[in-house]
This record gives sequence, structure tokens and C-alpha cells, in this order.
Amino acid sequence: MTKPPASSTSPTGKAAANGAAPSAKAGRLATRANEADQRLTLASPIRRALNKVFPDHWSFMLGEVALYSFVILLLTGTYLTLFFDPSMAETKYSGSYDPLRGVEMSRAYSTTLDLSFDIRGGLIIRQIHHWAALIFVAAIMVHMLRVFFTGAFRRPRELNWLIGIGLLLLSLVEGFAGYSLPDDLLSGTGLRIASGIILSIPVIGTWLYFLVFNGDFPGTEILGRLYILHVLVIPALLLALIALHLGLVVKQKHSQYPGAGRTEKNVKGVRVMPLFAAKGGGLFMFVFGVTALLGGLSQVNPIWLYGPYAPADVSAGSQPDFYMWFLEGDTRIWPSWEFRGLGYTIPAVFFPTVVVPGLVFTIAAIYPWIEARLTKDRALHNLLQRPRDVPVRTALGAMALTWFLWMTVLGANDVWAKVFDISLNATIWIGRIGMLLLPPLAYWVAYRVSLGLERHDREVLEHGVETGIIKRLPTGEFIEIHQPLGPVDEHGHGQLEYAGAPVPKKVNKLGSTGRAIRGFFSPVEEPSEVAAVTGGNGDRAGQRELASQQQPE
Amino acid sequence: MSGEGTSQPARTAADLDGLSDEELTHLGAGLDGVRILEREHRFAPGSKAERRAERLVAGCFVIAFLSVVGFIAVYLFYPWRFSLADQRYFLYTPLLGLTMGLALLAVGAGIVLWGKLLMPHETAVQDRHDGFSDETDRRTIAATFRDSLEMTGLARRSLLRRSLFLGSGALGLMAVVPLGGLVKNPWAKKELLGTPWKAGMRLVRLDGVAVRPEDLRPGGMETVFPDVPGGRHAPDGPVMLIRLYPDVTRRPRAGQADYSWGSYVAFSKICTHVGCPTSLYEQQTNKILCPCHQSQFDATRDAKPIFGPATRSLPMLPITVDSEGFFVARSDFREPIGPAFWERRNYD
Amino acid sequence: MTKPTAAEPADPSPGLLARARRRASSTIALTVALGAVGFGYAAIAPSSAAADQTPSADAQRGQQIYQTACITCHGRNLQGVPDRGPSLIGVGEAATYFQVATGRMPAAAQGSQIPAKPPQYTEEQVNQIAGYVQSVGGGPQVPSGNLRDGDMALGGELFRLNCAQCHNFAGKGGALSSGKSAPGLGTSTDQVIYAAMLSGPENMPVFGDNNITPAEKRAIVSYVQTLKETKDPGGNGVGRLGPVPESIVLWVAGIGALMFAVLWIGAKS
Repeated sequence: MTKPPASSTSPTGKAAANGAAPSAKAGRLATRANEADQRLTLASPIRRALNKVFPDHWSFMLGEVALYSFVILLLTGTYLTLFFDPSMAETKYSGSYDPLRGVEMSRAYSTTLDLSFDIRGGLIIRQIHHWAALIFVAAIMVHMLRVFFTGAFRRPRELNWLIGIGLLLLSLVEGFAGYSLPDDLLSGTGLRIASGIILSIPVIGTWLYFLVFNGDFPGTEILGRLYILHVLVIPALLLALIALHLGLVVKQKHSQYPGAGRTEKNVKGVRVMPLFAAKGGGLFMFVFGVTALLGGLSQVNPIWLYGPYAPADVSAGSQPDFYMWFLEGDTRIWPSWEFRGLGYTIPAVFFPTVVVPGLVFTIAAIYPWIEARLTKDRALHNLLQRPRDVPVRTALGAMALTWFLWMTVLGANDVWAKVFDISLNATIWIGRIGMLLLPPLAYWVAYRVSLGLERHDREVLEHGVETGIIKRLPTGEFIEIHQPLGPVDEHGHGQLEYAGAPVPKKVNKLGSTGRAIRGFFSPVEEPSEVAAVTGGNGDRAGQRELASQQQPE
Repeated sequence: MSGEGTSQPARTAADLDGLSDEELTHLGAGLDGVRILEREHRFAPGSKAERRAERLVAGCFVIAFLSVVGFIAVYLFYPWRFSLADQRYFLYTPLLGLTMGLALLAVGAGIVLWGKLLMPHETAVQDRHDGFSDETDRRTIAATFRDSLEMTGLARRSLLRRSLFLGSGALGLMAVVPLGGLVKNPWAKKELLGTPWKAGMRLVRLDGVAVRPEDLRPGGMETVFPDVPGGRHAPDGPVMLIRLYPDVTRRPRAGQADYSWGSYVAFSKICTHVGCPTSLYEQQTNKILCPCHQSQFDATRDAKPIFGPATRSLPMLPITVDSEGFFVARSDFREPIGPAFWERRNYD
Repeated sequence: MTKPTAAEPADPSPGLLARARRRASSTIALTVALGAVGFGYAAIAPSSAAADQTPSADAQRGQQIYQTACITCHGRNLQGVPDRGPSLIGVGEAATYFQVATGRMPAAAQGSQIPAKPPQYTEEQVNQIAGYVQSVGGGPQVPSGNLRDGDMALGGELFRLNCAQCHNFAGKGGALSSGKSAPGLGTSTDQVIYAAMLSGPENMPVFGDNNITPAEKRAIVSYVQTLKETKDPGGNGVGRLGPVPESIVLWVAGIGALMFAVLWIGAKS
């Protein structure tokens, strides 16, 4: 171990920590720190924060991607508010985009055009904002899948799962409000559909509809209302929930995958400073960089092509952003069923757009408690599970995910029909039949695959890794030599218990339960390490190493 | 949280003077319940490989700097205002994105490479303190709550308690009641039931010109609006005026037999499903398709829904031709147009 | 006010034609395919086929082509052949030009609709056929010359009101019911767009000159063609199909790149 270069070149560091009078630059910094500490008594909490240990795994960074895209949204969104006016007052466009010059449109639409064409660099900020919004929702979804399939929502983290569901819902509403603001033909169509959905709610629907639009659709208030929701109310809620979400992660400490030295009672990884912070900071730059590249190189939401909204206009292939497609999809395949009776109506659109998502999100929100009740598992869990080890949950997740993806695909059925030259009516029927068949099929497949993988893990632990070496016995029988992973009993069966960690299945993966093989693009092994496994009595050395890794310390 | 360090023996400043920074770091970590198990350099300090890594990281930061310079140059000096004539303009945003993205990615790569290659990799383990709090803490907090309650006398003084609930509940109401300003009675003006159309009103085009029968050829369609100010933007106004081929046999809905004028039929353009304009009229199949959710209506059967999620026919506007030869409405629609709602009476 | 049953106005296209035209999609038989392939869109030879009485030389050449390529389905005197092809009397130059110039005619096979394909005749020959049909049956004509002198803003409004619902906001086309579709306008020339509006091919409604005036048609043409020729200011337009390709870019390029970054950062160094 080496000393940090700072301490070797400057001996004042030590002295400064004790408040002695320093002379060098570092000393002045220490003086400032002492000044602050005297007033705020910060030394202990800051040290504790810097020393916090986070487990090191790529899948734990997916939520970070969502967090960083949220930061980008705040930055770019603030810029956009400087130019955007959410007014529905009519105006005649006179900006530099020729094909629309002279067209009557709302101020909201014309200021969005100005933002795109008459503000220097406005278009790229608008596009970065839109891409960041798409990445935000996508990253939340991927993060949520990781949390679900590894069982990270179990006690004591149920509350954070619930907050996460809240964040997802809020982000969907936030996204919808955001893309409705420019008042272009596509977003106006979306708003009209939203108005129809609100109107469809039994008993209170018409009242709610008039409340939201301050009269009949579209009225003159809706954009102003969506605007304040989009730039103040929902971001504030998101910010508060994100703070709570992260606060709980800090308080409860991050969960971790089972492995060498990892137990329910500890967390193994790297401290916040400097390594975790470097990786987090780097990832933030990557997220921002990717949104900037997309914002510059890939056009998104070209509202000037859509044109201004008018109630009689519509375009073929009208889709919302991807995270709303599942609602589109199940609305499209819903048969023409509605309730009529006693002089009242529950319109067809109510079921796929209110009842179905209501059920889906409710079940998702209370899933931690459902599972706890079914499994009677009331213990605290800090070690995550591999999806294969919980086949029923994995299968349920696969079923739900398949339903969601299938609905999402169907949300764009007219585009698929056109692009792949399929009959539009056929895509609806394919969708209806698929909705009944695919989720159960996904359940069955995921369940069987989980069990198969689980059994194979046990098999390898009992009999060892296939070496590929075929041996002929004196009896003439051919057998493949298996390399035991650890000590064996008198029958030659491995004695290692399955510990929830990946089991090496190939000879070149031996040791992977401990430290992963170095290198990303290609394995980088140091000669000494390789020698330790292969040289001399390497077999036994390898067995010892694995044995210690398989058993949690 | 602060309980982690309490068992440590007190140290004098003199004790601490004798410790190196590394020892102090370990000490601090220990106070926070953290053990630094191993710490190892990727490359030997001072080695050639380490210097190469250093140059790599520095190179990233230099690329970032150059990209930012490029970004600023593009931002300031490149043609940036939309112009059909100036083809250079169309590279403005891509160039901004490229320089900006490259700068950010280069900084990110520099930081990550720094962390991966030059910072010593460490493995640290921190203890968790899950589950219930310390027994003393739990007992004392519970007692403190009970004591507070006792001091206020809320449990004993039922009059105070009830009047407090009454008063604070009323305050809560006061916060909610002003939201009543948002509520509008949908039945005050019955906007949901009627449209601007009325008897004798002409069917006008986008430019306000009234439509005559000879304007449409068989198989033709025209979107028409009520002849009122702002009719173009009335959300319940758009109507599809269709001239069917003369050989098409119209099968009207009950009570609508006389709604057409010859082979001319007029339907509300607003879909009865969720309100998109259902304007895809197929003149050979006489189907009307809604582009949003693919509901299909049969124009020869007074726009009866034949496929997709829509459950109701498109309302039909009864039309005729006035003495000057222009199309006029004979009345408003007989039923509410657009998506259905709870209080909607059923027709068929 | 007249009664709803009042006599309908004189119609430029008689009922026979109307019936036949509507039957066209289902009854077009295979036609002999001949003629040179290869087609120059650049030079539009003005046919000025108002020659009604005495067929011009061009119309005579058009007649020759008609008699080899079209006569099997459309009959000797454009009167149509039952169960094969509709009468062409009154369809005019516009419909003929559209069908032949976009390669839809001569048709190769039956289907839910007749697909466009590389045209089998040169621009000159197309105009000759169109001139012949015009000279025999009469009907709507497509103006020649520059059609992009209209008001783009008006054209855009009319496009969004009358065309975008099938052809998409950027003229990319869209699906219709039961396997039919509205074609993209990517390769359509001014004359083809104009002729389509005027003649209402396949399931497209007919937009006669009283419905969308010639000036308005020109406005639509200038809007559509300007949109096509304008590059995308915000980077790659990903097909100008709206959120669908955008979402594919998001998941493949955006989330893909970020997953790569996350895996790289998370990998042991």
C-alpha cells in the first residue's frame, strides 16, 4: 500500500487536521474547514458520508441513470421556460420556418417554433430535453425490472418500492403534460384522447372533465394548467420523492448480491470517496453526453412537421411517446364492449384506459406485501436473489413484462401494418389473441427456464464442472471428467452448499464467484494469478479458493 | 448512527499526532463501522503503464476542452437561423450535439478511466444495523410520546380534544373549499349535448365558402364546419360531407331515413370512441376509419361501427339544400357527438 | 328549400363510370406487360390534349399503345370489360396519367389494391396514352408546368385537413382498413399528386376542382414538395414517422449506449 502523494510532499496535512497553523495552500484550506467546523460541527457527519460503502455492480447504476437524466431535465427545462409561453391565444406565425408562415396558431405552438428556429441553439436544448425525458422513463422501467427480479423490494425495502411506483406514475404524467404543451397536431390529438378518457369515468366523469378543461374541450385554460403541473407541481413532487428514495437507500444501506464475504449483516464494496464518486460522476457525464448526441443527431418531436392542432385535423400514425403505448395498445384491441343500463353509460374506453392500468399499478404497488403473505417471509433481506432461485416470482414478472411489451407493440399497430404490409384489421386480431396466449406462455417458459438453471447449478455443485476431458475407463466406458468445485465426500459428491451466488459452469470461469475476471473488452489476467490456478498443484489451490468463496464468511 | 464510534477509546491530540494520514483514514473508517480490507493499485506507482494511463486520462480531458472550443465556435459563428436556402443551417444542431456530446463523454471517460486505472481499487466492508432500535431507545421514545400526551392532557380533556378536531378539521375544509372554484357544472349550458349546428345553418369549408351539391363528385369528401365565427376551431363542429356513388344503397339507422340529401350524407367527424377526427374515408369500400384506435364505420349504414373499439355510430347531421342552392343543416345532431359519458342517454 | 329527394346536379362522370371505377380494384385482370422500362420525371411534356375532335398525332400514338396494353381490360372504345376492367370514359387525362405514370397500370396482379411499381412507359408515352383517353372520353386534366407556385401555409392547412389522416403529417403514408394502405408521397411528382387529388384513385376520395380549387391544389403540392425537399434541422429525421422510430432510437442507441457505459463502469478494471 502506498501513501497518497499529497501527504508525502506536504507534511502539513497531518498538522492541519489538528488545527495547527499551516503555511502552505493546503493549510489555508484546512483553516477554512476549521472555521466551518467550529460553527457547524461537520467533521463527523461528513466523514461518515464519505466513508459510506456502496456495493459495486453494474445493475445498481440503472437507477442512477434515471437520477442523472432528471438533473438534465431540470437544467434544460429551466432554459426552455425562458422562451416558452403556454398561452392558447391565437396568433399568426411570422417566424423563419417558411412552410408555416402566415398560419393561425396558438402562442404555445408559435413560441415552440421560435424556440426551435429563432433562438440560437434552442432546438438542441429542446431535443435534449425530450430525449432526456424518454431516457428518464426508460431508465426507471429498467431499474424497476432489476429491483423486481432480484427481490430488492422485500422487507425492509417495501416502502422504497412504493415510492418507486409513485415516481414511475408521476414521470408518466409529467411526460404526458410535457409533450402536450407545444399544442401541435400530435399532442393535441393526445390531449383530445385524454379528454375522452376523463369523460368516460362513471358518475364523476363529466364533472371532472369540466374541472380539468374549465369547460368543454379544449377550452382556453388547459395548457396553462398543464404547464404549471409540468414545471412546478410534478417536478417538486418528483424531487421530494427522489430525495426520500435516496435517503432510504442511504439509511437502509444498499442491498447486495450474495458472494464471498457478503452477508445480511454487512455491505461490501467501495467507499463513496473517491471511487464510487468517480464512477457516479463519470456516469452522469455519459448520460448527459448520450442525450446531447441524441439531441443533436437524432431529431425528436418535430412539431413543425406535425403542424398546429385543430380539432378537425389528424395524422396517420398518431402515437404518443413510448411509455404511453401500453395504454394505446390495450385500447386498440379492446372489443366494442360498454355498459349501458338504467339510463347510464360506462363507455368502452373506460375499461382499457382506467380500469386496466389502475389494476396493474395497484398490483405492482402492493406486490411486496402479496409476496410476503404468500411466502410467509417476514425476515429482513439485504442479500439479493438470483431470478432463477425464485421461479414463481420470475415467472410472474415475465408474464407482466410480456403483457406490457405486447401492449406496447400494439400501441403502434398501424405503423407496423404500414411498414410490414400487414392488414390493419389482422394486427388487431393478432393482438387480441396474443394478449390471451403470450403472457401465460411467458410464465411457463420463465418458470421452466428458472427451474432448469437452478437444477444445473445444484448439479455442478454436486458433481463439478465439465472439463471437456473424456476418459476411457478400463471397462471400455467413456466418461467426462468433472472438476469438483470444493471438497468431496466419500462418494465423490461436492459438499458445497448453494449460496445464491453464480456457480462457475466452465473451467475458465473458476474463481469468478470471487473477483470478476479483469478487463471489459478482453480478459486481463496477471501472470501470477494464472499461475496460481494452473501451476503445480493448481487443482487443489483452486478448490481451496473456491471453497472459501462459496461459503459466506 | 453516531453510536458506531462511541465504544472507541478517547484519543488525545498527541495520540493522533503520531498517526499517518493512512492510519487516520483507517481510524476514521473504523469509527464509521467500515473496514478497508484491501487496497491495490492497477499499475505499480511510477511504472510505465501508470504513466501511459495518466496520459490517456489527460488526453480525454484535452479532447473535452477541444470539443468545448468547437461547441462555442459553432454556437457563435455557424449559421443558426432556419433558412430553406442555406443548406449549411441544417448541420447547425447536429454540430452542436456532436461537440457537446463529445465533450461530455470525454470528461466522463476521463473520470471513469482515472477511477479504474489510477485510483487504487479497494474493498471495504461496512456493518449494517438493521431492524429494531436499541431497547432503551425504543422504551424511552415511547415513554416520551406518552409523556407528551399526558402533558397536553389530550387523553383526559375530551372537550379540548373534540373541539381541537372540530377546529382543525374546519381548517382542513378551508384549504379544500376554495378548490371549488375549479368546479364547473357541465349541465349548466349543456355543451356536451349540443353543437353549434342548428336548422338552416350552412355547411362551410375551411375558407368560409358555403358548399353546394355540385362541389362534390361521387366518391368525394369534404370536411365542413358550422357557419359561425370560430367554426373551424369548434371542437364539436367538424362534419364529413360525403357524396356516395349513386348506385350505393344506403341503409339508414332507425329514424334517420331522411337525414341524407340524395346520395349526400354528413357525419360528425369526431369519433364516438375517444374523439379523434375519423377522417379516413375509403371511397370504394365506403368505410370510415379512425386513425387513433382503428375503429371502422360503414358509411352506407349511417356510419355504424363495424370494427374496432367504437360502440356507436357517428352522429349524422340532417342536411338539405336551401333556396340558393347551398347545403344547410336541418337541425343539430339528434344525439351528443364524440365520446360517450356516464349521463349519456342511449339511442342505439 | 328543396326536398332531400330533389334531383341531383348533373354529374361530370356518369353512373356507369362510377360503378365501373369502384369495381376496378377487384376486377383488374393480368395485363400484357410490354414497353420500355425507364422513366424520366424531369421533363413533363405538356400534352395539351384538349384535342377533342380530330385526334392529334400524339393521341394516335397513345391509341396504338392503348390497343396493345390496355384494350384487354378496358375495351376497344374505353367502355370497359365486365369483370376485368372499368370503363375509362370520363376518367380523363388525370386518372390515366396517375395510374400509368406511377406504374399501377398496366396492373400485374389482383389484390386488395393495385400497388405502385416502376412505370412501364416513358413520360412521353404516358402523356400519349393519357391524351388518347382524354380525346375519346373526356374528363379532368392535369395542368402542366410548375405546380409549386401556391401558398405553402394554406397548402399545409389543407394538407392537414384533407390528406394527413391517410398520408401522414410528412407524407409518409399510412395503413387503411383490411390490408389497404395510403402510399407515401416520397417519389410522387407534382403532376402525380395533382392527378391523384383530381381523380381519387383506389380508395382515395375524389377532390374535384370545386372541392379543392386548382389554386388550393397547387398550394398543397408546394407544401408537400417543399416538406420533402427540406432537410431535417434537428439531425437525422428517422423516417419522419413520429414517436415510433424515435422510440426505437431511444432503446437501441440511447439505452443501448447507456447500458454499455454502465457495464463498462461496473466491470472490474
